[in-house]
Formats: sequence, C-alpha cells, structure tokens
Amino acid sequence: MAGKSSSIAPTTYSPSPTLKVKKKQQQQQQPIFKDVDWVRPDGRSFQHCRPAFLRTGAVNSASGSAYAEFGNTKVIVSVFGPRESKKAMMFSDIGRLNCNVSYTTFASSIRGQGSEHKEFSSMLHKALEGAVMLESFPKTTVDVFALVLESGGSDLPVVISCASLALADAGIMMFDLVTSVSVSCLGTNLVIDPITEEESYQDGSLMITSMPSRNEVTQLTLSGDWSTPKIHEAMQLCLDACLKLGEIMRSCLREATSAPHE
Amino acid sequence: MVGLSVGEKHFIQGGIAQDLRSDGRKRLTYRPISVETGVLAQANGSARVKLGGTDVIASVKAELGRPNHLYPDKGKVSIYVDCSPTAAPMFEGRGGEELSAELSAALQRCLLGGRSGAGAGINLSALIVVEGKMCWDLYIDGLVVSSDGNLLDALGAAIKAALSNTGIPKVNVAVGASADEEPEVDISDEEFLQFDTSGVPVIVTLTKVGRHYIADATLEEESQMSSALSVSVDRHGHICGMMKRGGAGLDPSVILDMISVSKHVSDQLIAKLDSEISAAEVDEAES
Amino acid sequence: MGVTDVSGDMAGEMEVDAFRRLFPLRFYERHLSESIRPDARPLGKSRDTTVALGAVASADGSALAKIGHTTMLAAIKMEVMTPTSDSPDEGCIAIDFHMPAICSPLVRPGRPAEEAPVISKQLTDVILSFDGCWLFSSGMVNMKELCLIPGKAAWMAYLDIYCLDADGALFDAALLSAVAAFSHLHIPAVSLNDEGRVVSVSEEQVEGNSIKEPLNKGKRKLTLSSTPFALTCILHKKYILADPTAEEESIMETLVTVVLDVTGRLVSFYKPGGAFLAYTSAVQDCIALTRQRVKELQKILIDAIADMELD
Repeated sequence: MAGKSSSIAPTTYSPSPTLKVKKKQQQQQQPIFKDVDWVRPDGRSFQHCRPAFLRTGAVNSASGSAYAEFGNTKVIVSVFGPRESKKAMMFSDIGRLNCNVSYTTFASSIRGQGSEHKEFSSMLHKALEGAVMLESFPKTTVDVFALVLESGGSDLPVVISCASLALADAGIMMFDLVTSVSVSCLGTNLVIDPITEEESYQDGSLMITSMPSRNEVTQLTLSGDWSTPKIHEAMQLCLDACLKLGEIMRSCLREATSAPHE
Repeated sequence: MVGLSVGEKHFIQGGIAQDLRSDGRKRLTYRPISVETGVLAQANGSARVKLGGTDVIASVKAELGRPNHLYPDKGKVSIYVDCSPTAAPMFEGRGGEELSAELSAALQRCLLGGRSGAGAGINLSALIVVEGKMCWDLYIDGLVVSSDGNLLDALGAAIKAALSNTGIPKVNVAVGASADEEPEVDISDEEFLQFDTSGVPVIVTLTKVGRHYIADATLEEESQMSSALSVSVDRHGHICGMMKRGGAGLDPSVILDMISVSKHVSDQLIAKLDSEISAAEVDEAES
Repeated sequence: MGVTDVSGDMAGEMEVDAFRRLFPLRFYERHLSESIRPDARPLGKSRDTTVALGAVASADGSALAKIGHTTMLAAIKMEVMTPTSDSPDEGCIAIDFHMPAICSPLVRPGRPAEEAPVISKQLTDVILSFDGCWLFSSGMVNMKELCLIPGKAAWMAYLDIYCLDADGALFDAALLSAVAAFSHLHIPAVSLNDEGRVVSVSEEQVEGNSIKEPLNKGKRKLTLSSTPFALTCILHKKYILADPTAEEESIMETLVTVVLDVTGRLVSFYKPGGAFLAYTSAVQDCIALTRQRVKELQKILIDAIADMELD
C-alpha cells in the first residue's frame, strides 16, 4: 500500500474551468486589454508597482539570504560562500559567481510548469556579475541560489533584486545594489510590474536591471514590436522604478542592521 | 578563451580607437557574408551562413500540431541552437550547453516577438490550418559549426535565409467534418507555400570596446569587450527585440545611442543579406 | 582517549569559539554534564515551533512549519485521475520531499541531497501506511474520500514538501508541515461537463445555480481523524537530546525517531544504526518525550487552524 502511489504514475490533469466560461472570458479579456482605459486585474494604476515586502536573513544556514514578496510572487535567495571552487575549476585570480534559479512544483497554477525557465540562471548571473567585485574573493566561488516559491508574474526581476539583497546580507562587496523592474506593453499602454495574467497577453516586454546610484544598466532585455520613443518612455519608467526599489532595499538593509540581534 | 598578450590587446584596442581594426575593417563594417540555401535535403528549409570565420547552419522543419488554447488563431514556432564541439574546444561535453540556452533564448526573443505574438518576425497567423484545431509547428534548429565571434548575428541571418528557403506543404482540409471532430487533412506533396520573410528582422550586435562600439566583432575582439548590445531590427526600423550581454554596466543614454547606431547598420545588413539570399536561391535553382 | 586529554589541557587557554570548532564533541559533553545545551535548552526540550496555514496561494492546501530554524513549506495540489482497477473507489496521494540548494550549504543544484529520498520514503510510509489500515484503525486520510465517481474519476493529491532551511530534525518538521497542509486542504468544487470530463466550478456559479450540482458537494474537506506527530532524539552515552539541531546531528550520530498518533499509539519507530546501542529504558524515555511533544504539537496545530479561521 505504501509504495502504491509512487510506483504507479497515472495520468492526471488539473480540472480547468468549463470551456464555455473560458471562451467568454477570452472574448472579454483580450479587447479589454486593448482598450485605452481598462482596469488592471489587481486594481493598480498602470505606473504603480505592487507593494514590495523584503526581509534579509530568511535562511539561517546560508551566509546571507533574503525573502521577497511582490504580490503573489514569492522568492527566497540564499548566498553561500565565498567558499572553495569545485575541484575541476582552473585557478583564477578573481572570484567566481555561480547562480541557479529553480521553481517549486506548485509555483504556477499547473503543476510542474516551472522547468520552462532554464535561461533564468544565466540571466541572473549576467545581471549580477557587473555589480559584484569579483576581485575581492580570489580563487573562491560565491553561490547564489534562488527558489521561486510562487510565481505571480515578473519573476525574474524579483529574483534579481532579491539576489542582490541576499549578496549584501552575506557581506559580498558590490559596487551598488542591483534592482530590476519590467514593463509590459499591452496595446498602446505601458504597464509596470506585470502579473502573470498580464504577461500572458502582453505584446512586448522590457526588463531593465540597473545599479541605481551609478545610473548604469547591467542587464536589459526587450521583446515584441517597439518604436524608439516607446523604448525611451519604457526605459525611463523602469529606471525610475529601479531607483525607488533601490531605496526600499536600502531601508530594508538598514532596518536589519539596526534591529537588536537575537 | 582567447589567450592574448598585452601587446596584442593594445593593438586591438588601439586599432578600434583609430577606426582601423586588425583585419582592415572600419568600426561598423561587417565581414563578407556568404549564404548558401537548401543545404539539408530532409528539412523543409535550410541555409548556411558564413560570416568571416563564423560558420552556422539553420534548418526549418514543419509539423502539424494543435494551437495553444490562449491563441487559437496562431501557429507555434520554437527555436533551438546547438553548439557543435567541432566549433571550439570549450563546447565539448556539457560546455556548450549554457551558450546554447543563451543563444536560443536570445533568438526566440528577437524573432518571435511578445507573448501575444505581436511584433513577431514570422507571421504566426499564416501557420494556421484550422482555427483552434490544427496549425503548423515550426521547429527551427541552429547549429554552430565554427565560431569566430558574433554568433547571434550569423544565426539570425541563417534563420532568415532558411525561412525564405522554406516551403510548407499545402494542406487541403476535408469539408463537412463536424466542429468537434479532428479535421481530416490531405497534405499535398507537390504544392508548397512560400514563406513571407520580408518581416523577419536581422540582429545587429554592437560590442563596446573601450569608448567605442564595433559591429561584427571577431572572437579576439569579443574577448576585449566590456559589454555588448544585440538589437533586432526589421525592415521598417522597428525594434523587435534587444538584449545586453557582458558584465559592465551601461549608461542609459549610451544604450539609446547604440540603438540608433544599430538601426543605421541594420539598413545595410538587410540590403546585403537580401541580395545574398536571392543570389543563393538562383544558384540552388540552377544546380 | 588521547584527543580528550589534549582538549582538556588546552581548554583553559583557548577561546570558546575555537574550542567549539576544534573539539566539538568535548564541547558538547561539557554542556551535557551540566544538563544544558549550547543554545540554552534543557536536554529534553524542543525548540520553538510555529505553524502557519495557507502560505501558498496557488495550492489547494499549504502550510509553513518552523521548528527553531528548520523551515518546511508543504503544499498540496489536487488533480483528477482515473482510479486503478484494484481500488476503483479510492484516490491517491503522491508525496515528494525536496531539498533545494537554498536550504543548506551541503546541497548543490543538480546533485540531490542524500537525505531527501530517505525522508521522502519515511513520510510516505507514515502517511500512507497509516491509512492503509483505515478499516480497523483510525487513519489520517480515508482514501475513499478522494473518490469522485467510482471507477471513473478520483483525486490525486500531490503533496510536495520543500525544505527552506535545514537545521536538524528535518523529518519532524516535514511531517508537521504535511499534517498541517492536509488540515488546511480545501478540495476544489468540480462538476462533470457534457464531454464527461471533470471541470472546476467557481463559488459564484455554485451559488447562482448556473451549473448542475457539483460532484463533491459537502466533501470539500477531508476528515482527519487521527494525526501522526514525530520527535527525533539523539542518544549519546546516558543522555537523550530531544529535537537536535544540524550541528548536534553532525557531532552525535545516533538518532531515534518516534512517530505517535494523538491517542498515543506508536505509528513508526526508526533507529538507523549509529554508534550507541539503545537500552529498552532509553527507548521508553524517547517514547515518553514524544508523548509530551505530541501534546504540544497538537495544540500548536489547533491554534493555527483557529487563527486561520479567525482571519
């Protein structure tokens, strides 16, 4: 009896809403998104980010860690090291940064869908490597591991911001905190910090990762059809939000250090 | 990794600063491009593009599938890139995996547009056979045969050439099938539909070395880069995708400047590529 | 005992932290002889424990359990399956325990932790064998409750437990989070559509009577008649340390895990070898400690459920 459920793997499916309902929703939804003044599913205005909840020191056994919650997007990042590099690695007089992003099986509404995000690990690495002072830990490796507990849209930007907070918590030297924000283009509107539903209908997206106090962009991705003025507008929107997010992250770090230790 | 002496590094950097690169090019000039189409018999379309020492092959395969329920009026396209171990010693074993994943993701972003399909270089609505029931799934595979820098631009060009070489069999849907049933189809092996590739963008990568940026960097030049910006631009000058590579940060105003430069470069690249593709098609038809 | 002697000589001249790292066993034994542990706990006391229900919005039932620093996140997702021909009127539960790379410096991505499959199997044994004997004992989940249409459709419950922070007593925390997730589980309302496929219905539709009667009306909660709780103890010489931390587990390697249900019956007993052999009296002491612990845990769980219902 005990091994029964694990040995047999019957084909299962999650019950989806009735087809009839779905069609109706679709016909309603898409035009709504194209309208000039539709209301976002969570009631925010277009230029309004979700409230950010950030805490450092989420995982005790790590050198540094952070938990981030933006709406339904929940992420934990642990930083280990600097520690010995893998045996196979060659000698290097600068440090190495090793990043990995994974999803829980229940992160998205359909079970086990999180494995679609293979490129996130290398994108996290690219976003961080420009900010971390690799020469401050020669010959060793710093591991940055992220786990998306729940995916609610804009996952990668949240992971990146949370990772830089965890690096700061671990005391790894950086030029500046790295903050990341994405914008979705829906019809003629630019929508900041999109949720999953908005992302699935988006016509284009722009993600910017920046070091706000140095006014430098470390990572930038764009997809969809854009004209130059629109890019300009979206970049300004993102950079402005990055600056504000940077302030929130800074105050989170300040709180963590000023709070009395246990 | 390219092992360069201090002298060689200075030579490359100095040349770029003076607008005269090691191989005699100016900063924004591409290496000679050669295009060969129809190189793989079993694929629906294929092309081989050589850009200096960089050599890539792209193939397109079409299969019938079911459209995504969110977008019943659109076909599906997937892009996958493989780095052959013959291209560079570092691609052996699992070494090329990360680069493969990165290139695949970058090409998908540049060519397939937003999640809703808007801004896609490939007209996804043309792939539909029966709305909501059946569509063509395009599997685009890229293979890096030899690598001498600027893989992304070369792969983008190869995919564009392979798509224009692609013929999709005409499908006749049997009339009278009820709405619920799987439609019965008859795939013609004589009539082919040509693909409209005028909307497929080209990818231009600008590599920043020192204070200047160069187009079409070689492997040696790439080893000296501080960062690079890949922009995919279509015929009308619209940006269809963009991503930054390399570690160092960039000032936002520099990025905007790089975008306008890459737009300018893309005009020449599109014209050059179009003439090469049509020449290759003529060659293929004659042989 | 050469090592002990050396450490004894040097103890006077060394700083506490250095001593702790160099002679961990001696460090612990000095504490134990004073009936206290380095984190100021008496030997038989467990760490502070909290349970929060409904931590994951995308799951049908979820719970976050913390024992000291050890943190477990459990979530249940319900999917529909065709029951097996042996038991056409029963559903199924698939249990998986994950140790992602974030939880401990010892785990690296791509290389699963050694403990993970062991704990997975232990959890499956405790939760599933428990209901196997539903007929003549009061098990935790009655598999028959997971049936929708006999022979046609039944629920498959995927229980995934993620270890977010590993600091000892992993199995205890994992079982606690699993039990809490089951008590939070709210099975989605479903009905049968025209094509004979099970589809979900929203609350408004049920109330508005726009669709025919949902299949599982009044069966949205599982009856959990008896729940198992676990306590892991370390046996070291004559001492018994309840609820060890990761450091204690790595230094003193003889572990005993006892699982009792709320009525005090023994569900599972696990002692995977170890350097110390346990006398019957020690085993009885462990069981007595567990009996106390079960009462604590039961209260914590009941409070958590009450807290959630208040909100």
